Amino acid sequence: MTELERWKRYRWQLIAGEAFDPALQMALDEVLTRRVGTGERPPTLRFWEWTAPAVVIGRFQSLRNEVDFAEAERYGITVVRRITGGGAMLTEPGKVITYSIYAPPELVAGISFQESYAFLDRWVVEALRALGVDAWYQPINDIASARGKIGGAAQARRYGAVLHHTTMAYDIDPEKVPRVIRIGREKLSDKGVPSAAKRVAPLRQQTDLPREVIQEHLIRTFAERHGLEEGMLLPEEIEEARELVRTKFGTWEWTAILP
Amino acid sequence: MRHGEYKTPGGKLVQVDCEVIGGRLHHVQVTGDFFLEPPEALDAIAQALEDAPVDASEEELAQRIRRALERFGDSLELLGFSPEAVARATRRAIE
Repeated sequence: MTELERWKRYRWQLIAGEAFDPALQMALDEVLTRRVGTGERPPTLRFWEWTAPAVVIGRFQSLRNEVDFAEAERYGITVVRRITGGGAMLTEPGKVITYSIYAPPELVAGISFQESYAFLDRWVVEALRALGVDAWYQPINDIASARGKIGGAAQARRYGAVLHHTTMAYDIDPEKVPRVIRIGREKLSDKGVPSAAKRVAPLRQQTDLPREVIQEHLIRTFAERHGLEEGMLLPEEIEEARELVRTKFGTWEWTAILP
Repeated sequence: MRHGEYKTPGGKLVQVDCEVIGGRLHHVQVTGDFFLEPPEALDAIAQALEDAPVDASEEELAQRIRRALERFGDSLELLGFSPEAVARATRRAIE
């Protein structure tokens, strides 16, 4: 089976447009992964819009080691923890492009974990290249360019499904990142520096196209390559996510699960 | 509180925080920007280091971790780090 045949086995549904706060974004990822896992929802591509800036830390990161809380507060930045591993990142409304893929495990069956990162973001690299951005996949989980890192991906294999989400910098101020995200010396010890410390090359430095146009082009590329139908979040999905914010993603117990 | 870090070349960072009480490791926390399935395996890694003698070698620490991870069977997946990487970060925290 070719790569494209793998994708085309499913009827992909698109969710895009509505903006949510950081904790609800984390919760939606869990809810939609679960629902694709149980078959209640078709395989889905979701593009995120943010209502507020956030530092999103990885599932296995230490809160105090990663985040300068006083600085984050000073900038009005919320700190949330996601369910996938990987490094801390700074997101701001209109300044990043974030999407999630919720897929049945069969989509990546027989592909190694590491290979699956490149596989699940291949359409994005193709789309960026078509826009004149000289992008490539940098293992394990980065979308890179000659000018620097554009974005990073993270995955979780849970609840009977695969969650793969990626954030790309569109117009993030690279100066702001080290003020809220701590970067130690060991992290800089080899060429593969961590997500937050890598020289970031936001898309805006590499193309004149507005964020919305890039996002539309990404969606069109996915649609042409894999097929994609317009969809929407169901009211009960949003309600389930709100409940998860109350019980998990909005709680200190979760955010500080690894203090 | 002791702190040690090790970054696997081409991989991810592991941080170990712990205390040494009576010549043994206690309150061990293992964190980093690595990928791990299932997430509960992280508790098993930290538990494996709990009570380890401070003079345990890197190989001995890695062996403790490998043994603790056996019960996860085929569901276990470490990406960007290894038991050896955690053991090295632990040794650095002790030294």
